[in-house]
Amino acid sequence: MTNPLISVKHLKKDFGGNEVLKDINGDIDAGQVVCIIGPSGSGKSTLLRCINQLERPTSGVVDFNGVDLAQQSDQELAKLGEQIGMVFQSFNLFPNMSVVANLKLAPMRVKGMSDEEATAVAMKYLTSVGLADKADAFPNSLSGGQKQRVAIARALAMQPKVLFFDEPTSALDPENVGEVLKVMQSLADGNMTMVVVTHEMHFAKQVADEIWFMADGVIQEKNTPAELFDHPQNPKTQDFISKVLVD
Amino acid sequence: MKKITKWLQQAFITITVLVVAGLGMTQVAHADDGLQKIKKAGVMKVAISPDYPPYEFQMNKNGTSTDVGMDVDIIKQIAKDLGVKLEIKNMDFSSVLVAVQTGKVDMAIGGINPTDERRQSVDFSKIYYNGGQSFLISKTNASKYKNASDLQGTKIGAQTGTLQYDLAQQKISGATVVGMDKTPNLIFALKTNKVAAVGVEKPVAQAYVANDKDLKMIDSGYKLDINQTGAAIAFAKGNPELVAAVNKSIDKIENHGWIKTYLKNAGKNMSENTVDTSMLRYWHYFYSGFLNTTLIAFVSVAFGIILGIILALMKMSKFKILSWPAISYIEIVRGTPMMVQILLVYFGLGALINIPALTAGIIAVSLNSGAYVAEIIRGGITSLDKGQKEAAKSLGLNQKDTMRFVILPQAFKNIWPALGNEFISVIKESSIVSIIGVTDLVYELNIVRADTYRGIAPIVVVMVIYFLMTFILTRGLNYLEGKMNHD
Repeated sequence: MTNPLISVKHLKKDFGGNEVLKDINGDIDAGQVVCIIGPSGSGKSTLLRCINQLERPTSGVVDFNGVDLAQQSDQELAKLGEQIGMVFQSFNLFPNMSVVANLKLAPMRVKGMSDEEATAVAMKYLTSVGLADKADAFPNSLSGGQKQRVAIARALAMQPKVLFFDEPTSALDPENVGEVLKVMQSLADGNMTMVVVTHEMHFAKQVADEIWFMADGVIQEKNTPAELFDHPQNPKTQDFISKVLVD
Repeated sequence: MKKITKWLQQAFITITVLVVAGLGMTQVAHADDGLQKIKKAGVMKVAISPDYPPYEFQMNKNGTSTDVGMDVDIIKQIAKDLGVKLEIKNMDFSSVLVAVQTGKVDMAIGGINPTDERRQSVDFSKIYYNGGQSFLISKTNASKYKNASDLQGTKIGAQTGTLQYDLAQQKISGATVVGMDKTPNLIFALKTNKVAAVGVEKPVAQAYVANDKDLKMIDSGYKLDINQTGAAIAFAKGNPELVAAVNKSIDKIENHGWIKTYLKNAGKNMSENTVDTSMLRYWHYFYSGFLNTTLIAFVSVAFGIILGIILALMKMSKFKILSWPAISYIEIVRGTPMMVQILLVYFGLGALINIPALTAGIIAVSLNSGAYVAEIIRGGITSLDKGQKEAAKSLGLNQKDTMRFVILPQAFKNIWPALGNEFISVIKESSIVSIIGVTDLVYELNIVRADTYRGIAPIVVVMVIYFLMTFILTRGLNYLEGKMNHD
């Protein structure tokens, strides 16, 4: 048994006295795909953001490769940050630069790649998400699905050890959801470690190795998709599953 | 309650900074080394306000302008006697004595009456000319105002900060005194019946009457001692050696009876100016004013943007040691008039290091603009979605790179229209630098008005120039804004 890549222990987060996360524990192994599901306001996104330190946890340990992220200074985090990729609900592409420049910026500035190297890396990942022809376009000329694929390629260009997705399809038009999920599916097939907050139950069921069901700031139940969807143990899980899986 | 405490702390710090800065810039005592300093430098610096013919004015001939007049001839003679070069510094009359006190110049000349009040802050040479006080009136009112006593209860115009202003207030009972900076403005007020009379020195009145057939001169009837009618040269206090040397030159001029020659020259030069008062003949005045105004605006906006970025980043810093100075600075600059800031930079900073008026003007306008630009930039940055910062952070970009590549380019695009407005307002507001003698458009405007005795035409010309500048700039900025919207 190897050590998990990420290990969360007794993680808590308060927002001005409002306890959003209460004692979260969980491990994520390398190559594993974890999907976090649960009702709105249950703390899923906050958990994701507390693990990658976009929000600082109030207490607890976030062990990443043997380093407690919660104890790192901002400078040290910036260095570790490149190993943890993040895909946002609202894409957050840099609108002031072209698609390829979006991808090249961090490899050049953070990893110190030359222009040629960075271009090669950028084009490789743009090709992998099927958008090589949009390299010179500006983000605002793309559809939502294309934007999210660029955002995924941008995160991949840093060759992170783990990729976080915060509701990556929630801001998309329905017809654009499929293309993004397809890219994520192929990443999972390629053994990428992924933590995905999502409302796409079918995707979670098909792709995840493990599902974390969250409600009221607590992980209520952790299990394989088959077990969790077909035999939910916790009454809150049962209630949620029955509501989202009507079809 | 917490908010109020914080507010009070902020106000306290701001005021403390102001007071300390003010105290730091108070007068440095002068040793009796004025003469040695001049001789060592080989240059004698003299402040004048060349809008006061025949004492001093600018002559426009063959496309070049020179300072001329009786006072200019006198200081030329003094420089010659001291064996040094003469450097004339032009500024507003209200600034010349301050320039002497703060050591920006070695002396000031300009029909200055050595009154007791003035003697408290500067020293004077002996009186080189005793002009006497007069009033100018419109010829159409000649029957109404036969002598000074007829002016009781009327409105009388006088240059601000001059003896004429004080005298009219004290000696003409019931008169309301209207103060303006420039004699040509006063004459214009007289012609449009805004004032009944304008108090000026006798030679000035004579010069006007000789050049303007609508004007008439009447005697002031003041009974005054010679300190209130004579003109003397002003020095910083405590330079008896220098005063003595200058007095020697004045004696020489007196003995030779050169004053008469100087006045005759002045009259000749004045008629040279009024031979042709078409604005076209004065185009180079407007042109050089335009160049300076443009220079001031461009350089100040450039520095203002650099300073604005620094201040904005400081103000947004979570470290109080950075944010509080920035907040104080911005509050002070935005809460005080630009004119006061310009005077403080030129005379205050100028007391510590010698900076030319144009540089002082640019520094003051830049410092001012920086505060406004800082708020514009801060607005541009805070209006950006915080997702941009988070995305940069999640890619491992450090704060500096995030600002440089992600935040600032977007902020600049968003604030471009506001920056353009700031640029345009700098072009217009910078006209205030003329008070310290920066030869910008407004300064040249006043020179042309003094030279040509024409009240309105030069104003219209300058207005058109300002309008064309801002109009063309607005179009240019709009064009660039359109080009930036590629995404």
